[in-house]
Amino acid sequence: MTIIVPSGTGNVYAGSGTIQHPSWSPYDENGGTCVAVSGNDYCVVASSNRLSTGFSILTRDESKIIKMSHKCVIATANCQADRKTLQKTLQTRHIMYMHNHGKPMSVAAMAQLVSNTLYYKRFFPYYTYNLVCGLDEEGKGAVYTYDPVGSYERTGYSCEGTGKDLIQPVLDNQLKASSPLVLPAENWMTALPMDDAVDLVKDAFVSAGERDIYTGDVVELLIITKDGVRTEHLDLKKD
Amino acid sequence: MLARPPSHSPALGPGCAGPPLAEASSVSIQYPAQPTAQVPTCGAASFLVDHNAVNAPGRDPSQHTQMPYVTGSSVLALTFKDGVMLASDTLGSYGSTKRYKSFERIRKVNDRTVLGASGELSDFQYIMNLLDELTTDDFCEDDGGMLSPREIWSYLCRVLYNRRNKQDPLWNSLVIGGIEHGKPFLGTVGMIGTHYTDDHIATGFGNMLARPLFREKHSPDMSEADAEALIHEALKVCYYRDKQSINKFQLAKITEAGVSVSEPFALPTRWDYKHFENPSANAVGTW
Amino acid sequence: MSGIGTGYDLSVSTFSPDGRVFQTDYAQKAVDIGGTVIGLRCNDGVVLGCEKTVVSKMLEEGSNKRTFAVDRHAGLAIAGLSADGRQVVNRAKSEASNYLSFYGDKIPGHLLSERIASFVHVFNLYWYARPFGTSVMLATMDRAGPQLYVIDPSGTAYRYFGAAVGKGRQGARTTIERLKLEQLSCADGVKEIAKILHQVHEEEKPFELELSWICEASGNEFRRVPADVVAEADRLAKAALDESDMDDD
Repeated sequence: MTIIVPSGTGNVYAGSGTIQHPSWSPYDENGGTCVAVSGNDYCVVASSNRLSTGFSILTRDESKIIKMSHKCVIATANCQADRKTLQKTLQTRHIMYMHNHGKPMSVAAMAQLVSNTLYYKRFFPYYTYNLVCGLDEEGKGAVYTYDPVGSYERTGYSCEGTGKDLIQPVLDNQLKASSPLVLPAENWMTALPMDDAVDLVKDAFVSAGERDIYTGDVVELLIITKDGVRTEHLDLKKD
Repeated sequence: MLARPPSHSPALGPGCAGPPLAEASSVSIQYPAQPTAQVPTCGAASFLVDHNAVNAPGRDPSQHTQMPYVTGSSVLALTFKDGVMLASDTLGSYGSTKRYKSFERIRKVNDRTVLGASGELSDFQYIMNLLDELTTDDFCEDDGGMLSPREIWSYLCRVLYNRRNKQDPLWNSLVIGGIEHGKPFLGTVGMIGTHYTDDHIATGFGNMLARPLFREKHSPDMSEADAEALIHEALKVCYYRDKQSINKFQLAKITEAGVSVSEPFALPTRWDYKHFENPSANAVGTW
Repeated sequence: MSGIGTGYDLSVSTFSPDGRVFQTDYAQKAVDIGGTVIGLRCNDGVVLGCEKTVVSKMLEEGSNKRTFAVDRHAGLAIAGLSADGRQVVNRAKSEASNYLSFYGDKIPGHLLSERIASFVHVFNLYWYARPFGTSVMLATMDRAGPQLYVIDPSGTAYRYFGAAVGKGRQGARTTIERLKLEQLSCADGVKEIAKILHQVHEEEKPFELELSWICEASGNEFRRVPADVVAEADRLAKAALDESDMDDD
């Protein structure tokens, strides 16, 4: 979906053409790509660490993934200021939840919380693209994918951010089992072994880094299994 | 198949469409280039005032800040072995007018933090008032405690983000440098609330002009002298290319020993380089 | 205290037939039985000193602060109920900070004293309020130079050359009156205050000296007197006391 934001494209008045004047937008496109692939007993989440604005790189080492618990992480692309606010809010809410319930949130609960938090700002949205990933109550990999105002669905894999157009088709090609329209419903979970999934995600980022200027520098991969979260780094080109 | 428009620019090669780059187009004849203010989202854009927009008829007088008035250009900063260094010039521009030539855009916050600002200077003064209030609170507390650079940075991130949420932004890119637990801290935040820490930071034009130099030559364990030489070089490059800058700089250093903000100084410059005399000779597409 | 049993001392909104507000008098009494607090306006600054009785051996040194900076150029010493005093300190802080943000300048001493007095006074006006059981000494340094003010529970504010409140005020005042304050520097003022506090201290219980000043030596900011200076003044005061004891014998 597209969000229409106030943009600084000028101001027309008599006797003149369009004059560029310094208007501002509360949003900034900071780029970044997030990918998540889940399997029967794992979930691989990855995002690039480059932070950009326009044609400039702001920093090369800014993680876009927040680890909520040993079973749940959230990856967020686009407007950095909104991402930080959103992730901070979610983290405090999660800590309060843990104090109240004596256990971390399930991925499903976190998914609903993220949706509510995004929808709460429906009329001045957090301009963020989120993936909530982890292992569900049965220990199966789970990926929830969102739009900026909180619509969401559970999928087996997903990609968000500036590299989405490049990566999502590849994931569809490699991972999609059958149409969700086929009845009776078939298992749409990827059956890929974990190592293959990690390789696929890495390949996807290397390819996206080649063509997307907002994806580069380094990829942070979080591999969630029943044993916890393992982090890997993959260097991309810095151009 | 549609015919491909011919290229107007030998520099770009055949098949590239667009107005001729090396000569003035009808567009630019009719409407001479206007200075445009850009948005300091978090450091990449420069700052300028558009007088036409300021004086535009029918502009609602009760609007929030829609453009900056008196602005400061780049702030450069980097870490070194035992501290942080910040530098900027002392100019406050009113559009293309050099309005204030001795404006101190780098200020001490407390005994281990310094704040540098580009963008709207009145907003910077307001932000300094906020911080001075906090520093006085620390003074009154009388327990020797004070806000750390990271705390000040976090605070400013929230202030700027909350103001953008009110559609009434503080039009600045801020750079916060200091010593935190004996280690250098360097962070920045823009008018939208975009923020990050890094080993080197530059706002405004500095992000285009100085940061490539930093990326090439900076290392976190460089000596103070090397860091100073590098920041001098970067200042000079900014001065050569940024119209909105003057040769009057201030340099702040923060080490374990404390904070120092230098008196204004000038750097030696040369204007007799061949490429300066005829800049367009080797760059097709410029004028 | 003739108000007891007459019914005129239940609220500050009723005067007694002979024109007193007993609740205010009682508040003053609360100050009078508290530790002695002394302020001296010297020729180069102001020194405030408090006698803090150590109520328990288990008390940590430096606890129960009685002198507070309210801005860089102003500070308070509180006598009487310290919990009440801290309310006044908080109000003084916000008055100072509001003035600064509104006028862009440090609040002048006389204005700050006036505003603290107004705040304190309000608690003498309504039946549901209780006057503060505290007198505060205000030390300031502004364009008018160093100044010392005392604001009492009724909301009266006076400017003094030297002042003393609390248990030992009588003895302290006579000694202060004999001092040549226009020739006294803050460095000497610290020693004088220490001497007086030792002099007027009666009980066997030990006490802690808390001293703050605003002068050249503190960078014209209201700060604690450095520990070594206090220790030296304490030593001299004790020596002087022993000497006079011997004279008495």
